[in-house]
Amino acid sequence: MFGWSGMMLRVNLTTGSIKKEPINLSDAKLFIGARGLGTKIMADEVDPKVDPLSPENKLIFAPGPFSGTFAPSGGRYDVVTKGPLTGAIAASNSGGTFGPELKYAGYDLVIFEGAAAKPVYLWIKDDLVELRDASHIWGKTVPETTDLLRAETDEEAKVACIGPAGEKRVLFAAIMNDLHRAAGRSGVGAVMGSKNLKAIVVVGTRPVQVADPKGFLAAVEKARAAVKLNPIGGAGLKAYGTDVLVNILNESGALPTRNYQDGYFPTANKVGGETLAEKLLVRPKGCYSCVISCGRVTKVSNPKYMGEGEGPEYEAAWGMGPDCGIDDLEAIVKTNFLCNEYGLDSITMGATIACAMDLFEAGYVTLKDTGGKDMSFGNVDALVELTRMTANREGIGDKLALGSYRFAESFGHPEFSMTVKKQEMPAYDPRAIQGIGLEYATSNRGGCHVRGYTIAVEILGNGVKLDPHVITDKPHWVKLFQDLTAAVDSSGACIFGTFGMSGEDFAAMLTTLTGVPYTLDDYLKAGERVWNLERMFNLKAGLTSADDNLPERLLKCPIKTGPSKGGVSRLPEMLPEYYRLRGWDEQGVPTPEKLKELTLV
Amino acid sequence: MRIKYFADIRTLSGCLEQEWTRPAPTLRELVLGLAEQHGAAFSARVMPDGKLSATIIVLVNGQSAVHLDRLDTPLEPEDTVAFFPMIAGG
Repeated sequence: MFGWSGMMLRVNLTTGSIKKEPINLSDAKLFIGARGLGTKIMADEVDPKVDPLSPENKLIFAPGPFSGTFAPSGGRYDVVTKGPLTGAIAASNSGGTFGPELKYAGYDLVIFEGAAAKPVYLWIKDDLVELRDASHIWGKTVPETTDLLRAETDEEAKVACIGPAGEKRVLFAAIMNDLHRAAGRSGVGAVMGSKNLKAIVVVGTRPVQVADPKGFLAAVEKARAAVKLNPIGGAGLKAYGTDVLVNILNESGALPTRNYQDGYFPTANKVGGETLAEKLLVRPKGCYSCVISCGRVTKVSNPKYMGEGEGPEYEAAWGMGPDCGIDDLEAIVKTNFLCNEYGLDSITMGATIACAMDLFEAGYVTLKDTGGKDMSFGNVDALVELTRMTANREGIGDKLALGSYRFAESFGHPEFSMTVKKQEMPAYDPRAIQGIGLEYATSNRGGCHVRGYTIAVEILGNGVKLDPHVITDKPHWVKLFQDLTAAVDSSGACIFGTFGMSGEDFAAMLTTLTGVPYTLDDYLKAGERVWNLERMFNLKAGLTSADDNLPERLLKCPIKTGPSKGGVSRLPEMLPEYYRLRGWDEQGVPTPEKLKELTLV
Repeated sequence: MRIKYFADIRTLSGCLEQEWTRPAPTLRELVLGLAEQHGAAFSARVMPDGKLSATIIVLVNGQSAVHLDRLDTPLEPEDTVAFFPMIAGG
């Protein structure tokens, strides 16, 4: 078999059984792999109404066909499960080297079922697959866990694990691999913790077979050249990292500030990528087969926040920075390190603290609730301390561990939570960028930008330049970005490759790699298929069109200052057109005709 | 008029921001004046061949010049003009 390894592992943690099974090739062709194939298995095997933290939920690790090849920036894997933060399908993907290593071991998927009676980890070395006791590493941080597991298996092993946050079922716990890379969103780490699964440790030595080596090489070279020629993919991201977005979003009046109270932060430059590069950057870093190198190796020497690690990305810098009214970059970098070490989603962590600060200033959370801690906007010490307390579920951190929606709801004011489907929105204000608001509202995993990154055309003008303030054609662009991204994710590729590569480039690489012909239309259709399958899972889980919404603050409270002053989201005007373009009825349900067209019935 | 520079364009201008007091009725006059002040490398990066570079973003009071009148965008003394490279993230 080409591209796909053709085999998957099924690990029942309740019984300890481990089975090797062939993958369903016809499903692989239709859903590609990674996010798509993982979702197909979830849809086939798991009741969408399942409690996400029960043994009946499954947890699937899935690299894609590109993973382990030299397709540019094609080294990712997905973790697919039902997310405890959202109650929706979760597919969180991550870079680094873990995904390719799993592929080299010979597996397209690893499916975990049930729950272990005591902490375990899975050790994979090609055909050798065994569950091992993890009692001695339970409670350890991500770096400690990684070091200990490499020492007792193989120094070159790749490790994906949870930290204390996942063990304690923080609802936005991440799964970390290669120390600093995160399958971050929707609480996939809490699902892993609920199964008493501390880590997967893998060494693989087998190559990925290529159907048409010459054709694949040509397609890869063309794609690489396209990325290198692109001003974003070629040099910009390597020089400044994703955090460079702080300033352009701020100057566009679209940088959510103080829990989305505003869209402009006067001292944003202090936390932007230029400042990070000047003061704290050690070097850029890329993931497996990356031609972009947006990663940041960073170091803080200030004794108060001393540490070394990676990041922050733009979203984390925003969440812990402007969204909390904070412009202390060293504190932000330190807090990001803590998220990586404890295994927390850095977006939701920052945004949840921002929500708590908002509630504190409004008087709904009091000093009695906080144990005497001042939680006002701008309080740097609170940012760092609340992150530790959340990971360890200490004091008010036990409530913060539920994410901002449940936190705010527990104080009687869920409207303070800036979430969609109970997941925190990231760092682009829908009152200033209309398309991204529709994207957030309709994202199958709740508030998220990387399901359909319309910022590329609404702010950056990558190929097409759309006015962010208008709604004309935005439903079309949101659908197109969502479908393409679903296909890219399912291929095991990084969406940053789209800063240069076209859909045709992805389709050409997939065709020559697998030997299965994919036209651009086939590729986009596969993405649309994945999107609709996720939608159907969510509808069966109990979500409805009422969940395709934004917080009232974004619909009714205009931005107060800055270039987008006065703006509100016009989501209600866009949503019906989006449903129509999707082939869904007025309630957002895919029609029988659409499901038949996508071979989903 | 307040002029702001970001990322590599900040390096070419040699400053984070500056005040512009010379006459600049449109973006074209402003960019020509800035190019004259900051030299050939800045000029080549921002306005090669007499047109705004396709690899930069120019915001006038937060609005992209592409969605205004490009180089013919009228300017007022109280305006803020920001220069960015095409850059991205997530």
